[in-house]
Amino acid sequence: MGEQLEKVKTAMAELDLDAIAPGVQSALDAGEEPTLILANMADGMAAVGELFEKGEYFLADLVLAGEGMKEGLEVLEPHLKAGDRGGKGTVVLCTVKGDIHDIGKNLVATMLSSAGYKVIDLGTDVHQDKVVEAVRANSAGAVGLSVLLTPMVESIREVVNALKAAGLRDQVKIAIGGACTTQELADKMGVDALGRDAVEAIRIFEGFFS
Amino acid sequence: MQVASSLERVTAALELREPDRVPTLNTLEEFSHINKILNKRAIPVTFFVTNKYASKVGDKLAPLINKSGYLDWEMDRRTYDLTAASVKLGCDSAWVMHVPIFRLRDTRYATDIYGRYYDVALDKQGNLDTPMYRGGLITGPDDWKAWDKSDLFKWPARTNKAFARVQKDFGERIFVMATFLFGLFENSWQTMGFERFAVALRREKDFLRRYIKFYEDHWCEMLEAWADAGVPGAIYTDDQAYRSGPMISPKLMKELYSDSLCRITETAHKLGMKIVIHSCGRVYDLLEWWADCGFDGVHALEPTAGVELARAKEMVGDRMCLLGNVDITHILVDATKEEVFEAVRESIAAAGKGGGYIIAPTNSHPDMSVERVQWMLEAVEKYGYYPLQV
Repeated sequence: MGEQLEKVKTAMAELDLDAIAPGVQSALDAGEEPTLILANMADGMAAVGELFEKGEYFLADLVLAGEGMKEGLEVLEPHLKAGDRGGKGTVVLCTVKGDIHDIGKNLVATMLSSAGYKVIDLGTDVHQDKVVEAVRANSAGAVGLSVLLTPMVESIREVVNALKAAGLRDQVKIAIGGACTTQELADKMGVDALGRDAVEAIRIFEGFFS
Repeated sequence: MQVASSLERVTAALELREPDRVPTLNTLEEFSHINKILNKRAIPVTFFVTNKYASKVGDKLAPLINKSGYLDWEMDRRTYDLTAASVKLGCDSAWVMHVPIFRLRDTRYATDIYGRYYDVALDKQGNLDTPMYRGGLITGPDDWKAWDKSDLFKWPARTNKAFARVQKDFGERIFVMATFLFGLFENSWQTMGFERFAVALRREKDFLRRYIKFYEDHWCEMLEAWADAGVPGAIYTDDQAYRSGPMISPKLMKELYSDSLCRITETAHKLGMKIVIHSCGRVYDLLEWWADCGFDGVHALEPTAGVELARAKEMVGDRMCLLGNVDITHILVDATKEEVFEAVRESIAAAGKGGGYIIAPTNSHPDMSVERVQWMLEAVEKYGYYPLQV
């Protein structure tokens, strides 16, 4: 592996925010393939996820890695071709109707995107019909629903029912996550998985598409 | 054993002594709960928020509403009613919040005096609910310098007046734990947004330190105002963890916040008050640090975040009183009476031995059932007397 590529990966993994974008630029200047640079950024991001699971990194570190990824991509994006990103599958993400909390959802979006998935992020307080529309329009294979507040959990059921009514439920796997979610809730709502944090969420989506 | 007063019972638990029975803390704080308990009617604001024409009028009225001080007056009233409702329920102590901090932009959006912005929210009865946090307006040192802090400086005098009234009417019947929003960690990140804060932790630590110091001083002024009003306890509300663990590394948390938290607890103790920290989430990695900082107790201990009372008791039960742990996603929402009783029995069995436990819901939200909180209190009467028979 080229020295510049290794530097990009290390900067991501060590959360050296000031070295990520310059590292990407140096790698480009050294003639490295943009897709290889992207792959090394993703490897660095995956290393951050592993350190989070080991308890060495925390939520703010995951968010910081996401910010580093964004800064690196700002430099790299103009050099990528259509189709270089998002080839692993399409995931529709949102925070459910009535809820506007988005830290977890944004984190999952960034990590999925850097892991090679196409992410359709519908934002917060999203009506179930918009989820159905996005799944259909993008032939998505998975849906991720975020909910923080207990009074909003019924919105999960509304999405599940809307997907069933549209005849799309068999086409998509659904995962939920957020502060008030439990395995009992996941079972009650008829979804396929519960993610306790962003890193576990990525593993769940990897499983959905494997 | 002689029956203790609520004040004696709560004080004993906070001092890690065995009271006559496990004390109770009320956390229900939504308008819908207060109205139900006190048989009051909701203020019909839904029409002004949801009706197309009325909301246009409401939008125009928003600056006048702010200027008139109506929202702040509502918050004063809520503080009084919240305490009255807790007394009527028969709780030994109450989490009593006084938050005259919200300012309407229009009928859909609000800001607060710290620099957050929110969506205006309504509960199912049409009451104004706790507005939903959307993000922060302080993007850096310049924004902070320019931010109008005048309402923050006026707050201690106002809170003193609100709690003096509460103490005069209820102070002998209930142990009031005064609080306000927010703690130093939440104020640091919510006013700028978590993404921005995560970056500031790396790039702008000096700014963060100045920011934290400002709110440390503010907290100490609020403690003085409460103590002057005769309030016996405070809850320092600061969500530092979420369901998987601390939001930032405990090492960094200690580096940035230890001195401030120590000063806050020392100030409370010098003023003769007890002080409890509240944080949602999986808090194991922070418990010993909070004890080191001098907190008398720790509240929430959320089962949905995987916190087990017995483990928390083993870790810090000889240094801090444990409060909370009764689930608000199922047990105090839609559980059967048997389930509520069993949850209470389990909590008391896990943490009640030798004292140092105050039973309470982990938090408050509009879908919680007043009836189930009453069942919780009934169950404490059944299982909570010392010597424990659980």
